[in-house]
Amino acid sequence: MQHLKTIIKKELSDHFSSYRFTIIFALIAMVSLIVAYMIGINVRKELEGVAKPQFIFLMLFTSSGNLFSLVQFVAFFGPLIGLLLGFDTINRERNEGTLSKLLSQPIYRDTVINAKFLAGVSVISIIMISIILVIIGLGLLVLGIVPGIEEIWRIFIYLVISIIYISFWLGISILFSILFRSTATSALAALAVWIFFSFFVAIGASAVADALVPDIKQDIKVAGSEADYLRSRIINQFSLISPMHLYTRATATIIDPTRKTTQTFIEIGRMESISIARFSGTLPLTQSILIVAPYIVSLIALTIICFALSYTIFMRQEIRSF
Amino acid sequence: MVMSRTFLVGILLMVLTMGVFHIPDASCSEKEKGSEQSPDRMVTIAAEYPSIQMARGGEKININVYFRNMGKTDENLNVWLINNYKKWKASLTTFSFNITGVYIPSGKDKAVVFEAEADKDINPGKYEFPIKAQTTDGKFKLSEVIVIEVLKEKSELDKSRGIKLTSSYPEIQGTPDSTFKFAIDIDSTFVDDTPLDLSAQGPKDWNINFKPSYEDKYISSLRIKVNERRTINVEVKPPADAKAGSYPINVIINTPKSRLETPLTVILTGTYSLDVRTAGGLLSLDAKQGKTSNISFYVKNTGSAKNTNIKFMTFKPENWKIEFKPEKIDAIEPGELKQVEMSITPYEDALVGDYSVGVDVAGEKVTKNIELRTTVKASAAWGWIGIGIIVIVIAGLFGLFRRFGRR
Repeated sequence: MQHLKTIIKKELSDHFSSYRFTIIFALIAMVSLIVAYMIGINVRKELEGVAKPQFIFLMLFTSSGNLFSLVQFVAFFGPLIGLLLGFDTINRERNEGTLSKLLSQPIYRDTVINAKFLAGVSVISIIMISIILVIIGLGLLVLGIVPGIEEIWRIFIYLVISIIYISFWLGISILFSILFRSTATSALAALAVWIFFSFFVAIGASAVADALVPDIKQDIKVAGSEADYLRSRIINQFSLISPMHLYTRATATIIDPTRKTTQTFIEIGRMESISIARFSGTLPLTQSILIVAPYIVSLIALTIICFALSYTIFMRQEIRSF
Repeated sequence: MVMSRTFLVGILLMVLTMGVFHIPDASCSEKEKGSEQSPDRMVTIAAEYPSIQMARGGEKININVYFRNMGKTDENLNVWLINNYKKWKASLTTFSFNITGVYIPSGKDKAVVFEAEADKDINPGKYEFPIKAQTTDGKFKLSEVIVIEVLKEKSELDKSRGIKLTSSYPEIQGTPDSTFKFAIDIDSTFVDDTPLDLSAQGPKDWNINFKPSYEDKYISSLRIKVNERRTINVEVKPPADAKAGSYPINVIINTPKSRLETPLTVILTGTYSLDVRTAGGLLSLDAKQGKTSNISFYVKNTGSAKNTNIKFMTFKPENWKIEFKPEKIDAIEPGELKQVEMSITPYEDALVGDYSVGVDVAGEKVTKNIELRTTVKASAAWGWIGIGIIVIVIAGLFGLFRRFGRR
């Protein structure tokens, strides 16, 4: 345990002393300022004409502003933080020959990989907490509203999910840094995976849906809606292989209590819509969590499995430099 | 009768005041005027109605008797009435005292009232009441006879002279919460104005009021003019808890001379009213997707008529199942309470949130609606499965640590 702490400290000082820290700091400042600025402009506009707005503070995270909301930003570019922190974890040390030196010390091998992963998670947590705190602070300034307890809880859960999500990508990049000797290769491989899951899956899903369900938009509207529903279901099922999709779904009802489902497209009957519109309200936090529980579970499981894979491979690997 | 009496009193008052203030002048001028045409002394007596008919057991009779002095000198008369009948009480009066003498100034009239009242068991027939008068010096003697014919029955009189009541709608049907309005036409064939006393006999706690037509006030008496036709409205308001059935109402109109009755009938059909509420009055319930939730409610017949064949209809989102136990209520007596068990099964893919579920309880002629706020909650089962998965994954990770660690 003592060794674990030492290595984590060493890793953290590595992260914060390098240019990487400058990059990370720039990232935090940029993201927070851009998001806070865009939302500051837009939230007031969105609130105009709303009789009794609820959970305004959460709009800081969901309001899409001019380009994207924080949630969308983290979903798309959060992985990059994880990749950036992890793509050269093991293979850089290996190439510089420090890994065998390190392991010649009385340190267990698993302590090294555990500490590297935990150090990465710490940096991710620091980044996310800073971003969210800066946004909350700017939000207090712009909106002049103090968040309620439930809002704080929702933000906290969102934060935890985000950290897990980015940690997953950290795990992926550590896995690649173990698998590939060259840092460039592992960086490229990690980027390729990111691009595949973030962009290709989304495009691929609609391509598959288009192939399976004939496009009958020119036909009668009623038949069209049926087909639209089917398409949306196929896209949804197909997209589930993407961690980004899981993350978007998992945070959907947590950060936006007015949403009652994770689906983007739902079939709702006429009577049902009248019936549910009668008491239009927000979901309680426990219900929001229960709805997205499968997605959160999948994310946590994926992250742990990914790390376990890196761990197993690292533990069984030949570590002598050639 | 009253009219003529007040009129008389008026005249008397006038005469008295004249007597106090103007007697010297008036008598002088009368004397001078009368001296050319009138005889020296001349007094006459006349009854207003020398012959009348009345029903047995009827009212007190008042008839004016006029004395007239057509002579040049004022006269003092002794007046007396001869009553030969034991069953009659008769007297000559003015205001409240009996009269035995009358003073009549020259050229003036004087009226006194002949009052007679018969016992109830008087025999039908003709009765004569001579009224005698004599000047104090005994030179003039006057006499008048009033003949009263007592008839056997009241109706005998009513037919010829009196008041007729007609009601166009003597029977009205309705619910206990409505007001029944009867119209009664009153035709008077009396020869003078008549006051009518209005009263009614109805079931206990019923509110019966008389109203003139086109006027919004309650009356209990009415003055009807000679040969007039008046319409009065009888408003009947039953108590709210009156049971269905037929209720007779007797409208009684009393005139000084007679008493008339006209029967009216109110037929209550009973109200139809239902009250629906849940036990404890809570109109919300929790339900899980695809799982059945139960709520029971009570149907109470708050009307006054039996309500049969009460069905339940629902307003619910598509694909939801709602069942009632019993499916319908065959009959429910007034005041009776029946419990209905309702089970709501939300659709398996229903969104989490609050739904409105409406229940229409449709009975005979009445529908009652309740709205239930149904909160669909996510099933926690998958949450436990998720926790299980995470526990397994973490256990796997620790297994790995055990197996490969500490190398």
